[in-house]
Amino acid sequence: MWFMQTWIEELLLENKMNERAFDNSHYNGDTAFRVRIRRFGALVGRLCANPTTVIGLIIIGLMMAMAIFAPWITEANVPDPYQMPRDWGAVRKPPGTPGFLLGTTNEGGDVFYGVVWGSRTSLQLSLYVVGSTMIIGTIIGSLAGLLGGWVDEFLMRLVDVFLSIPELIFALAIAAVLGPSFTNIIIALSMVIWVKYARIMRAQVLQVKQNEYVEAAKVIGDTKLNIYLKDILPNAVTPVTVQATLDMGNVVLIGATLSFIGLSEAGIAEWGVLVSEGQAGIASGRWWASTFPGMMIFLWALAFNLVGDGLRDALDPRTEGR
Amino acid sequence: MQLRDYILRRLMVLPFLIIGVSIVVFTLTRVGGSPIGIYLSHEMTPDEVLEIEQRFGLDKPVWVQYLQWAKGVLSGDFGWSGISAAPVADVFPLKLAATMELAAASGLVALFLGIFLGTFAGARRNRAPDHITRIVAVSGASLPQFWFGILLLIVFWANLGIAPIGRSDATVFASINHPTGLYTLDAILAGSLRAFWDAIWHLMLPAITLGYGATAIIARMMRSALVEELQQDYIDAARAKGLAEKLVLKKHARRNALVPTITVIGLTFGFLLQGTITVEIIYRWPGLGRWMAASVVRGDQGTLMTYVLFTSVLFLIVNLIVDVVYANLDRRVTLGK
Repeated sequence: MWFMQTWIEELLLENKMNERAFDNSHYNGDTAFRVRIRRFGALVGRLCANPTTVIGLIIIGLMMAMAIFAPWITEANVPDPYQMPRDWGAVRKPPGTPGFLLGTTNEGGDVFYGVVWGSRTSLQLSLYVVGSTMIIGTIIGSLAGLLGGWVDEFLMRLVDVFLSIPELIFALAIAAVLGPSFTNIIIALSMVIWVKYARIMRAQVLQVKQNEYVEAAKVIGDTKLNIYLKDILPNAVTPVTVQATLDMGNVVLIGATLSFIGLSEAGIAEWGVLVSEGQAGIASGRWWASTFPGMMIFLWALAFNLVGDGLRDALDPRTEGR
Repeated sequence: MQLRDYILRRLMVLPFLIIGVSIVVFTLTRVGGSPIGIYLSHEMTPDEVLEIEQRFGLDKPVWVQYLQWAKGVLSGDFGWSGISAAPVADVFPLKLAATMELAAASGLVALFLGIFLGTFAGARRNRAPDHITRIVAVSGASLPQFWFGILLLIVFWANLGIAPIGRSDATVFASINHPTGLYTLDAILAGSLRAFWDAIWHLMLPAITLGYGATAIIARMMRSALVEELQQDYIDAARAKGLAEKLVLKKHARRNALVPTITVIGLTFGFLLQGTITVEIIYRWPGLGRWMAASVVRGDQGTLMTYVLFTSVLFLIVNLIVDVVYANLDRRVTLGK
């Protein structure tokens, strides 16, 4: 009678999808893919209804545009565009000096150049760190949640140990051991951040695993990998996306802090390094070299925080207005 | 699960977590290669190098070295601090007092201000004070502290010239004894109003810089907890009894909203601990954070690793206390499985 059972399970599954879809009138011939597209549309709608989220999205858009079009906004420094150009004939110029819109640093670095190319550095940092930790964390969290037993026990104790050390201090220690360079900051942050995703993913997998549609897929005789990829993963990633959005801002903040402390190469076009460099001039009234790059870090982190919060509210309507 | 069992279980796990952290820390010191580098010079013969290796046990297997190190740490030997040219264990308490004074001042201000702001906003949901608090909360989470500190310095130190830098005025420092290392407390013990005022004056800007973000975390949690409580039935009951709105808010809603707010205290503590690093650099505050930043830049591993180990253990203990207090206050919490 196995085919009867399969058929009933499938019917139940369809029924469930029907309940979940936002608009029941289009039900005929619906696929899971189409349901997802429509849900995504509804999500975007809810996101755009929130004014602070829209502000965040606009800031992110401008930052991305600045990062992408950096060579067209200011001429790239040769040979390495990520190094600050040094014009020793124009040191300590105030903002508004012709050719130096935001002034220059003690070493004749153009602050405007640093602000623009710093957005590229920050974008690279956040994409590398969030991308790699999301993948590593998802794999490890999924393994722990799916396999259970001693694998789960071992991985989660490892996560506990990693979470015992405050984030910034841990990253600082790793970066210090690896030696001062921007690449090492990326490596250090990745080694620290992945645990968050592993923990979220494990909890999600454990929860999603118990759903009827996973049972249904097992009864049908789907392979384990297929069940994971098609049924468990897509239904478990939501909190991961919220965390990733928040982390896009968060890691730039921590990365800039590490750079500020002195763990980047000197002279790199990075906002934290520029704030640190500008610090020397504030006693003599040269406020601009720290102020503008720092403001960029603030705006970057703020934008992703706003969108992350908005995303969480849009995905979970219960938290609205809290 | 009984509360007592929960506390016991957490206490039993704690040593294992600390051992785990110490292994991570020890591994980190060895990632950069053998620590023998600090003792070597160009004139040494291979025999002399070998002798140094043997003297410090660096020729033994790594796990033996770990045990040696752990034994030293347990007996209070944290190694040599290159940048202070003294044993880490000697310098550490002095720096710790400076950092603790800063963190405690910021934490206390943040706690009161956060609870006040959160209550104020939560009671006026979706009105102007609520929106302002939300701006404070979101900006506090995104604000780079090192930049905020520099902005304050630009305004109050460089331009207005009213704020000091450092921890104390030199003549005031010399005028009283410092038995505790906490300057505000020392001034009170010495009965010197001038020294007390000087300590507060020096503490003000760093505490604002550090406390802003912490205030944001607490205010945000307090607000949402209060909003939640105000929707409960017992609030309606209290109002129906004819209690004044002020009493309903203070005696009923706020008291219950404080319970979930306790959970963010552990988070706030970690935030303050991490924040001291950059704040101390900017304000020339002679504490642990600045010491550690200097040791990072100059590759002084003994200092760095002691700091990481110490802050992690402190962080673990504070979180344990917070969890236990919370479980004790909120009986709805399910403890473990």
